[in-house]
Amino acid sequence: MQVAAPLVSHDERAASGLLLPLGVVLIGVTLIPIAYSFWTSLYALNLRRPRLVPFVGLDNYGAVLSSPAFIAAVARTASFTVMAVTAVSVIALLVALLLNQEFPGRRVLSACLLIPWAIPSVANGLMWKWIYDANYGALNGLLLQLGVIQHGMIWLGDPSRTLPLIANAFVWKEVPLAAILLLVNLKAIPADLHAAARVDGAPAWQRFRHVTLPALRPGFTLVAVYEAMVAVRHFDLFFLLTEGGPGNVSDVVAWRVYVETFRNLNFGLGAAMAYILALATLLMSYGFIRALAQRV
Amino acid sequence: MSEPVRLAPPTLPRLLRGAGLAVASLVLLLYVLGPVCWLLSSSLQTEREIVSIPPHWIPEAPTLRNFEAIVATGLGRPLPTAGPDPASGGFIPSTAANLLPAMLNSLVVAVSIVALNLLVAVPAAYALAKIRFRGRQAALYGILATRVVPDIALVVPFFLVIRKLGLLDTLFSLIVTYLAVTVPFSVFILTSFFEQLPDDLDKAARVDGCSRVQVLLRVFLPLARPALVAVGLFAFLSSWNEFLLALMFTQTAASQTLPIIVASFTSDFTVSFSFLNAAGVLAVVPPVVLAVLFERHIVSGLTAGAVKG
Repeated sequence: MQVAAPLVSHDERAASGLLLPLGVVLIGVTLIPIAYSFWTSLYALNLRRPRLVPFVGLDNYGAVLSSPAFIAAVARTASFTVMAVTAVSVIALLVALLLNQEFPGRRVLSACLLIPWAIPSVANGLMWKWIYDANYGALNGLLLQLGVIQHGMIWLGDPSRTLPLIANAFVWKEVPLAAILLLVNLKAIPADLHAAARVDGAPAWQRFRHVTLPALRPGFTLVAVYEAMVAVRHFDLFFLLTEGGPGNVSDVVAWRVYVETFRNLNFGLGAAMAYILALATLLMSYGFIRALAQRV
Repeated sequence: MSEPVRLAPPTLPRLLRGAGLAVASLVLLLYVLGPVCWLLSSSLQTEREIVSIPPHWIPEAPTLRNFEAIVATGLGRPLPTAGPDPASGGFIPSTAANLLPAMLNSLVVAVSIVALNLLVAVPAAYALAKIRFRGRQAALYGILATRVVPDIALVVPFFLVIRKLGLLDTLFSLIVTYLAVTVPFSVFILTSFFEQLPDDLDKAARVDGCSRVQVLLRVFLPLARPALVAVGLFAFLSSWNEFLLALMFTQTAASQTLPIIVASFTSDFTVSFSFLNAAGVLAVVPPVVLAVLFERHIVSGLTAGAVKG
């Protein structure tokens, strides 16, 4: 014991040696860029006039936060996030409840479930763009054959449908991960809780409502915060499906940062926006990270 | 609701349950596989068939022409001559030749990312799991917190630095940035895995005179094989699937990865729909095959953080 104890206790030198490569990567490729990003956000850096870079302090932030276009983009991002997170949570719950049952074919089903999760977001975007296609797409084809609609719809071109349809593509890809996380939570519910409720004569629905749902709280929290983080910053589908349009109905914050930075070449303004987005996600996920870090 | 069920003979509820499960499974299967099957079916249709209304769910005259064109042009050969369908050849863009090189770029980056992830994350995770040092908790918070920063916030400074170093349009710029983006999750999964291994293993080997590095290599690594597989897969998939950073840093076929080339077709209205879907299939197949083959590893890796390790 006297020999072993110091071996596992404080050993800063060994730890720092083993952590060094990770430290180099994270400091060099994350922390310094973040600092540099803040520095950039204080200048009116526009690559169209690279010689003239006046220091403007927090003016970029003021300009972003007082711009009606940015505020509108924030509102769109929020509405996309709420739609996406709600749908992911509900569908993932149904999937998890199904996969929590024992039946032949369950393993094949859970293997297939991973397919949307594994698909690159670019392929996902391409696939849904083709499904929504106004002329030859599968959605129009299916609904016409079923007699639900009488003529083809221009799905993504309809401003009232654009965000929900993009959210649908997002949800399809995100459901598997959320379902897996909820399933772990379901399996961890002690069986005697259900047994006790059954002895008390509680019908299935009541057992679900009063035993299962409350016990799923940690799983739902994890899913909701994680999916909200992913949805708020989501870019790929907006790029592939609509490029912010039609008009500006799908002009969300991540898309705004891209346009401001790489199309208008306003690097200072873009950096300020990106910083605001980063701070917002950091605040949103503070509790999430605390919970995760305490588990290890 | 439960009363009639309880009074019925025992086979009826079992039958109902079976039917319910079958219907639910079928619905889920359709939801998950429907869109992918449509992608695959479209990639196999001829130019004439793909624009039929209503759409043909199953191709009547399936053809591999798109895939042949991708391989042929990728190897520098001319487009195979169009067969009885005169329209098909013209809709295959000349940039089809970029798909195979882009796949190779994606592969090089992804394999490098897997190797570097393991090299960086394994020692770090061992230190975080088995050595008590001051600031351990803070280090964990810090590592996880870096993943909260959206990639789009890193893009601006990355771009400016990479441009200054003259590294725009190189695979190196992708490898460096992807490493920073993937490594925190790898560290997290491996740390929770090492945590589960008993401390006594560490102590016993240390008493026998092993150095920290020897303990890690000889005792922990062999035990950690499933976690290493999971981490390698996640790193591979995130790298293979990444779009935003590659969109900013790559400019020519020298460094463009598969998602960039595929995305470039979606905005080109002259490209055939069936060719577009074939390019999509090309991007989808490797990750889907890996995911289905290694389902167990992936699920246990994904849930490593969800359950109390």
